This record gives sequence, structure tokens and C-alpha cells, in this order.
Amino acid sequence: MRLGLRDLPSRLRLHRLLPVVSIAVAAGAVAAAIASPRLPLQDWGILAVFAVVIAVGEVNRIVLPGGRETAPMSLAAGYALAMTWDVGEDYRVSFGAGVVVATASVGMLAGAVPALIRRWPVRADDLAARLLSVAVAALLFRHLGVWDGQPLLTLQDNWASTRWVTAISMVLVSGVALFVQSFCVAMATASRDHRPFWRSLLDEVRQGAGLGAALAASGTLIALAERPMGIVALPVFLVPLVLTQFAIRRFAGIRETYGQTIRALSRLTEIGGYTRRDHPARVAALSVAMGRDLGMSDRDTLDLEYAALLHDIGQVALREPIPGGATMMAAPADQDRIARDGAGIVRQTGVLDHVAVILASQAKPYRHVRELGEDLPLASRIIKVANAYDDLVGEARARRARKHTAAIERIHLGLGYEYDPRVVEALIRVLERRAAVVGAG
Amino acid sequence: MTRRSAAGVRRSSTAANVYIGAVIAVAVAALVLSWRIAGPPTDLVALITLTGLGILGVRLREPDVGSRIAFSFISIVLIACNVLVGPTGCAIVGGVALAFEPGRPPRVRAFNVAMTSIFGVTGAWAYILAGGSTQLSDLHGAGELLVHVGLPLLVADVAQMLVNALLLSGVVRLNSGVPFRRFFVQIVSNSGIAYIGYGVIGFLFVILWGPADVGPFSAVLILAPLFVARWAFVQFGDEQRAHERTLSALVAAVETKDSNAAGHSARIAELAEWMSEPLSMGTQEVQALRYAAMLHDVGKIGVPTRVLRRPRTLSLVDLEALTRHSSLGVKLVRDIDFLSGSLDGIRHHHERWDGLGYPDSLAGDEIPLISRVIAVADAFDALTTDRAERPAFSPAQALKQIEQRRGRQFDPHVVAALATVVDRHDWPVTTASEEQLDQMRGYLDHDDPIAWEKVWTAAPRSGQIVQDPEPATRRARRRRVDGIRDDPRRIPDESAVAEQVRAP
Repeated sequence: MRLGLRDLPSRLRLHRLLPVVSIAVAAGAVAAAIASPRLPLQDWGILAVFAVVIAVGEVNRIVLPGGRETAPMSLAAGYALAMTWDVGEDYRVSFGAGVVVATASVGMLAGAVPALIRRWPVRADDLAARLLSVAVAALLFRHLGVWDGQPLLTLQDNWASTRWVTAISMVLVSGVALFVQSFCVAMATASRDHRPFWRSLLDEVRQGAGLGAALAASGTLIALAERPMGIVALPVFLVPLVLTQFAIRRFAGIRETYGQTIRALSRLTEIGGYTRRDHPARVAALSVAMGRDLGMSDRDTLDLEYAALLHDIGQVALREPIPGGATMMAAPADQDRIARDGAGIVRQTGVLDHVAVILASQAKPYRHVRELGEDLPLASRIIKVANAYDDLVGEARARRARKHTAAIERIHLGLGYEYDPRVVEALIRVLERRAAVVGAG
Repeated sequence: MTRRSAAGVRRSSTAANVYIGAVIAVAVAALVLSWRIAGPPTDLVALITLTGLGILGVRLREPDVGSRIAFSFISIVLIACNVLVGPTGCAIVGGVALAFEPGRPPRVRAFNVAMTSIFGVTGAWAYILAGGSTQLSDLHGAGELLVHVGLPLLVADVAQMLVNALLLSGVVRLNSGVPFRRFFVQIVSNSGIAYIGYGVIGFLFVILWGPADVGPFSAVLILAPLFVARWAFVQFGDEQRAHERTLSALVAAVETKDSNAAGHSARIAELAEWMSEPLSMGTQEVQALRYAAMLHDVGKIGVPTRVLRRPRTLSLVDLEALTRHSSLGVKLVRDIDFLSGSLDGIRHHHERWDGLGYPDSLAGDEIPLISRVIAVADAFDALTTDRAERPAFSPAQALKQIEQRRGRQFDPHVVAALATVVDRHDWPVTTASEEQLDQMRGYLDHDDPIAWEKVWTAAPRSGQIVQDPEPATRRARRRRVDGIRDDPRRIPDESAVAEQVRAP
């Protein structure tokens, strides 16, 4: 296997490392909290309310479109806690970043308990990223000297008449903390899905921007409103964010439904006897892994997945099925016709134009790029290779290794002529990783 | 229906114009009175900021996700105005913002400006009368804020909603003849909860602006989560429509395999939805019915093309392959969560009232209502379609054919619903050109009860399926249907049957 910087996150197994780092930070914070001077009773009350709200926020996690988990209410409450200074007009809290992180850890762990009891999967790396992000916010706001060695916390007294400056400073702190969160999550996904890190970060920042703005605003709102309203501000000022969370949940839900529909439709050809069992699903899984490896964005990967699932849909227009459903064995003209029929069917939806474009060129050989200067979409080239591999190997459990070698040999014969060499390399990398997993298991 | 309401508008347009004129006059009077009593708004920065927000609110694209989720930024802004800029300011903000609403004819725009201005003023006066404070810096602690700002704002909120509903119901009554009371109750029950939400958010806005000393910048903080929510709703709506279109377009693609049935699913879906009305089905059930109707024949993709297109040589094996389409369809879509209510409907849409249908030989009420509706709609559409052996029946003739099978093949209640629908709606028969007719020569439409009965009678052993000579238990009947397999001329193993069918 080629070694390079791009493999670094996966080789370091960052998605496993992240929770460890985070546990270390939490432990350090607890130690610091114990070592610090005794807190007044009122502080304990405030911290308790925050811990409860963070736990409730963790229980109400949402899944973002694209499958990543997050807990907006927990994060917003965490940022608010990190930036809490006056609770009520004449009471100032006296805790530091250590206590903030210890409280947030307690809340987050408590929030994960119901899921653990019901044996639902808890994504430890996402949880770790959230905790680290709160820790960053607390350090920035409470300890980092920004003006004359004073942290933002003590500077608030200078800004009594220009409170909007406070607001902007808080939004900035939350923004930095959110970026740290995105950075951690991107490292974990790059490591887990074997994607280039920069691509993961870009996707993470782009997708998180909307929700991030809402989070930064909510954390700031709560911290500011605690001054006139007291701790009541915490639940009350989360109301706008609850609405946001509801809307995003609906959005993610319909995205999931859409995916289910496409997957069901991909089985049309299977039930019609045109393709072998699970062929579209296998090609889709392989294509997505290759697309990730080649650094495709999430948006493009989704189009690639849909196109791979529907790549044989053109066969429903055939009078009689191709033997074994293997388009790879069909005559080039037939392959092209199936591709065009499929693209035509998909184009009729009026909403899947990107997918139709991918389908239209899925049968075209790679040499068109070099000889005719045609612009074949990367997704089409990926599907062509994945489809060929699956047609050649088939479902065979027995003699799988031999079939695999034969398939790779056959694909190598068409390298540069039929198939894009870069894509074939990605195929080999993906298959090597799969073999490693199977071998280890 | 549509013609009547259009005429209604023409007849009463003078009355509507007078009404709109009156509303405008009231708005102007309210503005003048407020100015005289409460004076002009003092905080110009607040006035300008809030007006800007109001304009932004009305110019944003509304999320199109059905009536249950509505979003009205202008309501939130007006509630904040009640406290921050007083009655006169409210009238100005409401009026100016709505003047910038895009894509409205002048008459509607004028009415909306006046109406919003009026309910802004109403809210502000309600706030003052309910003891609301405008000196926010004198208030300390959550309790005082709640009593002197929160509760009065709630009163103002309710007042705004009532005035809004009142004025709107009036104009809708005059314009399209919807009874005043019905529309009023509808608005209040639909947007009541949303208004409470606007009230809460408006309250937060005011607290941040005044007591927390953030000023105009609080607009950014409060509205950011709402903008994101709105954005997500817009995405949700887009994705939902994309999903619907994908589903129907791909179903249409399956129909290309059986080109003689083109458009059938879409027609059934419409007819079934009409029939749900006299059967007084619930909203969710209607939704499930619509999807089941759209997808009822999707399993035909699993039926060999030869059977679908060249049925002259149909044997019982072929017929059995054809009857498998209802269970195949379920197999295809069972992983789609939102279709879970439609699965039974798809599976049983060829059951018969007398228990002689397929695949499970259910009888009477055992058959899901959705399936009974689809069965009737299915047959009706098949009969009103041109076929090679006969021209399309007229809707009345087709209804007669179906009524003849009432109580045997079809549920009498559902047939009655069909009669109501045929009476109420215009149902165009589906015609075919000479060329198309030529192509469908010998085609068997499995939904056409007459053709289906003929084929069964022609095939050996068919009598058991179509006319059961003696009453029998359901299990016995099922055994008899399955009994086709016992025919020594045929291979009993299902996979072997499938293979035989697929062989050229």
C-alpha cells in the first residue's frame, strides 16, 4: 500500500484516539475542579441546572442529513455555561474552565446513559468532539488574556454600556469552539471512512454552517440573558433552538425516506429478474467507498450512491433479461442503450438531473476522455469499474479469492482503454482494506 | 365547483372593494389616533431596525410544506414592536413592511398593508391596557419581567391573532363565499399554537434588546436560529416534493414495461382519493390509500414480459405468475417506512368480497378497506379504457358492470361510493389510437373483470376460482386455489415454475 499524508488519519486511528484524548481532558478538568477553592452554594445550583439541561440535550440528539449525529441543545448549553458570567444583575459566578468542563462531562455522560441502557449505539467520537469544543470555549472566554492580559470574562465590566460588543465577542468564541468541533469530527470521519482530511473538513464546515450559526447565537443569547433573568434564561432561551432542531429533524427524516425509496426502486430490476440479488446495493456500497477514497464531497457522494443504485434501471425497458443481469458482458451498443434508457427514466423525475448525467455516461469507455476529449463524470467512471468488478466476481462465496484475482486481472486488461487507472487504484485500495477487515475479524 | 366560485368573485367584487376601502380607512384612523394619543415613536433606531426586519421577513421565501407548519417573521417583529416602539411605531412597521411584499396585485397589497397596520396597533394598545411596561430598565429579575412584560405581551399576542383572523375572514367571505365563522375558526385553530410561539420568541427578543442591553444586535441573535429553522423547512419541502416526483416518475417507468397500462396508476390514485371522501376516511388513511393506489401494480415488474404482452398462449402457469404481482409489489416496497400503511392495501387489492380472490382468499371485512377501494377503482378504470376487443365503456356503463358484481366481487359500500363519485366528477374514458389498438390485440388486462372471468372460464379448472359451487371455509378455499399446483401436468416447485415461465 502506498504510504502518504492522506492516510495519516486512518493509520493513527484518530476516531479511536479522539475519545481517549477527551477522557483525559475531562479527568484533568475534574482534578482542577477539585483542587480549586470551594464554590459558593449558588454556583452549585447554577451548575446543576446546566448539567441537567446538557443531559436532556444529549438525550434529544438528532441525526443530520447525511447521517452524522449531533446534540444542538447540549452544545448550546455547554457554550452558554462556558461564557456565563453574571447570573442576575448583582451576582457573579466564580468558577473556572475546569469546573465548566467537569460539569459538561457529567451532563454528557448522564445523557448517554439511556442510550447505553437500551443498547443503542453511542458515537463516542462525536461526544468527545462536543466536550473538547466546550473546553475550548471555556478556556477562550475565561482564561485567555486578550487585552492587557485580561480574559473576556473580566473585560465584560468595561462593556456595560456597549453590550453588543460582549455579544460579538461571545459569538466569536462560540465560532472558534464550533470550528474545533468540526475539525475533530472531520479527523474522525477521515479516519473511519478513509477519506482525505481536507475533504472531510470542507464538508463538515459547509454542512455545519447553518446549524453552527444557530448554536453560536443560542449560546450567546443564554449567557447574555442570564444577567437580567437569572438561570431561568437557560431553558427559556433554548426555545428558538428547539424549533431549529425540529426543522432539521424533519429535513433529515425526508432525506432518509428518499434514500429508502431509491434503494427500493433499485430492487425493481432484481425482482424483475434482470439483475442478480443485491447487485445494485453491492455496486453502490463499493462505489461510495471508492468515491470517498477519491475525495468526493458528500453531495457528490450522494448522487454517486443514487446513480449506482439505479444504474441498471434502464434494463426494465428490455424485453427479455440479459443472462445473469451482467451488463458487463453485454455488447457495447446494448450497454450504451441501457445506460441511455436508464438516464431517460431518471431524467423524467425532473429532480435527479445530476444522477441522470452520471447514468448516461456509465457505459462509456475511458479512452473517450483521452481520444475524443470527452468529459466523463468521475462518478460514471467509478460506477463502470464497480459494476465490472461485481459482475466478474458475482455473489460467489466459494472460490472468492480466485474469482477476485481473476476479476482484477480482467479489469487490468482494460486499464486506460476501458477503465480509468486512478479509479482502478481506488478500487484496489478499497478492496485491500476490506480484505484486511475480513482477515482481522 | 370551480365555475361557481369564480362567478362568486365577480358578483361580490364591489362588496369586497368597499370592505377593503373600509379596512384602509380604519388603518389610517388608527394611525392618526395613535399619533395624537401616544405621540410619535421616540426610538428611531429601533423603528428603523424593526422595519428593516419586517421587510426582510415578508420578502423571504415561505417554506412550502403544507398548512400545518407556518412561519411568520412579521408576527414576531410586530410583537417586539408592541414594547419597543409603541402603537404608532407598530402601525408604521406593519404597514411599511407589507408594502414590500413581493408578487401581490395592488388590491391585495393595499389590504395586507392596512390589515397588518391595524393588528399592529391593536397589539400595542392591548399591551398598554394589560399593564405592560415600556420602561424596561426599571424591571429586575425574571419575576418582574414576566409580570410586566411577558403576560401583557401574551394578551397583545392574542389580540393580534383575533384581529388578523377577523379581518381575513371578512375578505375571504366577500371574495370567495367561504362562511365567515368557518374560516375564522379554521384560522384560529390552525395558527393558534404558532402565535403562542411567536409571542414567546417576541418576548425573548424584547428581553435581550432592553434588559440585557444588547439593542438592535439582539435581532441577529434571536433570528439566527429561526432563519436556520426556516432554511431547514424550505429544504424539507423541496426534498419532499423531489421524493414524490421521483416515486411517481419511476412508477411510470415500470409502466413502460406494460405499455398498455400507461397512466393507469396515476388515474387510480386520483379516483381512489375521490372515493375516500364519501367513505369518510381519515387523513392518514387517505394518504396510505393514495400511495397504495399509485404503487398497486408495481409488482408487475416481476411478471415476465411475455405474459404481459402476448397473452394468447397464456396457460394457468402464466396466469399464476400474473397473480403473483400483488405480493411481489409488497416485497419490493416493504422497506420504505412511510409506505408501511399501504402494504396491506397493495397485497390484497385483488381479493374478492366473496373470498375467491388472490393471494390470501380474504373475504368481506377481512379485506383492508384500502384494498376494497383500489379493487373497485381498478376495475372501473380498466372498463373505461379502450381495448382491442371492445371500445371503452362509458362511465355509466362501467358503473353498471361493477354494480352487477356488487356483493360478489366488490364491497357494496365501496361500489356505492363509486356511484357517488361518478355522479360528482367528470371521468374521461381512456381512448387508444388505431395503432395502439393494433398493438394490444390479444392483450389481457388483469384488472378488467369481464376479460379476466373469460380467461378463467376458458382455462381448465377455472370454475373453482370464479364460481365456487359450495360454501367452504377459507382454509379449504385457499387449499383449492393452491390446489392448482396439484395438477399433475404441472411442476409443483415454485422456482421450477418460475424457470419454466422465464424460458423463451
